[in-house]
Amino acid sequence: MSLLADVASWFAQPEQWSGPGGIPVRFAEHLYYSLLALLAAAVIAIPVGLLTGHTGRGGFAAISLANFARALPTIGVLTLVVLGMGLGLVPVLVALVALAVPPVLVNTYEGVRGVDPQLTDAARGMGMRGREVLWSLEIPMAMPLILLGLRTAAIQVVSTATIAAYVGIGGLGRFIVDGQSQQIIEQILGGALLVVLLALAVTTLFALLRRRVIAPGLRARSAASPAN
Amino acid sequence: MAEPAIAAATSAEPLWGRAVEAWRWGRHNLDDPVGPLLAEHVLLSYASVLIGLALAVPLGVLCVRFRAFYAPVLGSVNALYAVPSLALFFLLLPYTAFSPWTAIIPLALYTLAILVPNVVDGLDQVPHHVRQAAVAMGFGPLRRLLRVELPVAVPVIIAGLRVASVATISMVSVASLVGLGGLGGIILTYGFARDFAAPVVVGIALSVALAFATDGLLVLAQRALTPWARDRGPARRRGRAARRRAADTTAARAGEGAAA
Amino acid sequence: MITFEGVSKQYPDGTVAVDNLDLTVPTGHTTVLVGSSGSGKTTALRMINRMVEPTAGRVAIDGSDVRGQDPPVLRRSIGYVIQQAGLFPHRTVADNIATVPQLLGWPKKRARERSRELMELVGLEPGHASRYPHQLSGGQQQRVGVARALAADPPVLLMDEPFSAVDPVVRGGLQDELLRLQAELRKTVVFVTHDIDEAVKLGDSIAVLRPGGRLAQLDSPERLLAEPVDEFVEAFVGYDRGVRRLSFFPARQLPLRSDVIVTAGETAAGARAVARRTGEPWLLVVDTGHRPMGWVSTETLAAAADDHDVAKLELVGYGHIFTVSTDSLRAALDAAVLSPAGRAVGVADDGTALGAVAQTELGSAIWAIGSDDEHSTAADGHG
Repeated sequence: MSLLADVASWFAQPEQWSGPGGIPVRFAEHLYYSLLALLAAAVIAIPVGLLTGHTGRGGFAAISLANFARALPTIGVLTLVVLGMGLGLVPVLVALVALAVPPVLVNTYEGVRGVDPQLTDAARGMGMRGREVLWSLEIPMAMPLILLGLRTAAIQVVSTATIAAYVGIGGLGRFIVDGQSQQIIEQILGGALLVVLLALAVTTLFALLRRRVIAPGLRARSAASPAN
Repeated sequence: MAEPAIAAATSAEPLWGRAVEAWRWGRHNLDDPVGPLLAEHVLLSYASVLIGLALAVPLGVLCVRFRAFYAPVLGSVNALYAVPSLALFFLLLPYTAFSPWTAIIPLALYTLAILVPNVVDGLDQVPHHVRQAAVAMGFGPLRRLLRVELPVAVPVIIAGLRVASVATISMVSVASLVGLGGLGGIILTYGFARDFAAPVVVGIALSVALAFATDGLLVLAQRALTPWARDRGPARRRGRAARRRAADTTAARAGEGAAA
Repeated sequence: MITFEGVSKQYPDGTVAVDNLDLTVPTGHTTVLVGSSGSGKTTALRMINRMVEPTAGRVAIDGSDVRGQDPPVLRRSIGYVIQQAGLFPHRTVADNIATVPQLLGWPKKRARERSRELMELVGLEPGHASRYPHQLSGGQQQRVGVARALAADPPVLLMDEPFSAVDPVVRGGLQDELLRLQAELRKTVVFVTHDIDEAVKLGDSIAVLRPGGRLAQLDSPERLLAEPVDEFVEAFVGYDRGVRRLSFFPARQLPLRSDVIVTAGETAAGARAVARRTGEPWLLVVDTGHRPMGWVSTETLAAAADDHDVAKLELVGYGHIFTVSTDSLRAALDAAVLSPAGRAVGVADDGTALGAVAQTELGSAIWAIGSDDEHSTAADGHG
């Protein structure tokens, strides 16, 4: 109970809410790195997933690459890039992108591959060209899985972006790292809580996005048959 | 790429040179840090996944029997999943100090976000008529669970284990920040601290190799545990694709984070 | 007119799906490709819109080789209906129907109007326009599939087992609907099915394909039923083809006996006189509006008091009836077989009784068809 009170009083301290080391600035930094990494991962993974899924070519290579990236230890990637380029934003981004690409790539690929061949057959039979099939059938049909992949990636990125503190570029991880070195437990807890809150916000955001981006026909259908 | 820090160690072919250098370093230091730290990595990751499984199965069974539990349980394990591992390690330090538990407890908790939904999905896949037949033959609830329902759920549970083990093996290294990371120790202590790339490469390579080897073991385990799923021709292939999709989406769902 | 000239399809693994197919599909007619699985019927169909490319031979529409056209452009001018409709689940019914008009770049308003038009044509309520496919029944989905194929008013319609996934009752309704549409639109329809009854019902001509993709017989349905070229076709069309073939002969050629009809109000004595005069064991009792009420037997009449009203005697149900002007011999035979009196009641379009025909007379009529066949003069055209 006293720990909870300590955390509450840590949040209540006015100095936490101002200055370059305050919560708003750290939060903004954290958000910025996370967004940048997610965006980069999306720019890499979505086109590759769509293309391999659409053509059916290179799918095995793409999935294998994703599985490889999944197995990479984030700390190792971060360290390797730091050794090569020094401390800064780039190593963090590389590590986070390596983390975010697999779920987005795999889900995009599976989303497109999972489109019923009968539907693509009907689309082609009516005279759609390859890109028309992709844009008006495969992408809308894959959208639920693409969003799921992006959300998974976003949560992992938000949680892992705490390591940015280790290479000296701030973020919410600072509260955790500094809390540890100064032995202020409530500050570690406060930092962790802020990360969880951010993850919660991400989840909510994706729930809203889902409502906007996914065709109502698909939403109703998946609600009707969750097993599908 | 300009890499002044290690330029001296690399030849005209930087990548190849770095690989050779890493190979040499690894061989030279096999007995001292590499071997023991690899063993520690195996211990930490396997213990975490096994403990996670030991928790996830009863939790999943509970959620299937009492549906009302599922939403709050899923919400809790997803919220846990969003807590930065670093914070959990630090918070446990005062209680578990530098014992392996400091790493194992958080990592085991993380696996729940992947394993619990998989156990539930796996049990949900038991066809209704199979369950009915088991009841009709006089199986009690416990025997039905052990003899009929869990075996049918095995492929989905193993699919979850594969995702969880790869994730855990790659995450163990973070624990090196509290001095407990298996191969992460090589990366930080021998690489980062000494500004030397070879140990980092060795650490990454061994971690990836361990992940792939574990994945292979799980595939073999599944084949051994579910002989009925073998040699079913096209049906089997379709089933596998469906399972893989299920596993992926379940794994993806595991990351849904705090709410849900 | 669609022509196949020596068309073959061999896959790289050596499988031959279609083997040297020569076939002409006349404009404005329905041609059904029928065969078991592995007979290459779907492959042949898909060569028309270049979903499959032949390895030998030539497929032409109105004389021009389909390979002379860019596939997407070609396909937009050919309607395509597949099993389970293949509707896009993320699009509303109206948007599904407007798919090809949209591809052709029609203005939105015109595409929407066309959707509405087609929904009416295929018998869908306008209220369904904004629904999604999963909210429709299987039969309704299939109607949307047909509407979608007709959207850009293509002269050719390809239908690949379109009704095989719905239950028999709904299927029958959809088949009737297609016949009605085709009578109105006169498209060049190529229809693939494995169901010989469906083929007989819908086809102006039927091409039976044998496994390995060779054409076994191309004929009108009645010719196919009358004279299968070999045992394969005979087995495929089924051994009750003789009875089924009766559906191509009109019931109006049957000799109906109207003298066995007695009207309600007639006395038992009067009816007995009719029975004696005609020598018939059963009389058909009709009400004052001339609608059939039931059969009365001579035994019942014999036991009745002289002044008893026949309509109040114990009547036997008249069972199935057939409409003389529109039904076939098959319907008449069916009615006779099912009638307790062994006689079929023929009615006019307004339901009034015209007369009855006994099984023996039906037998003579059927025998007459058989002898006609000797001179190859089977009736032409049906439906």
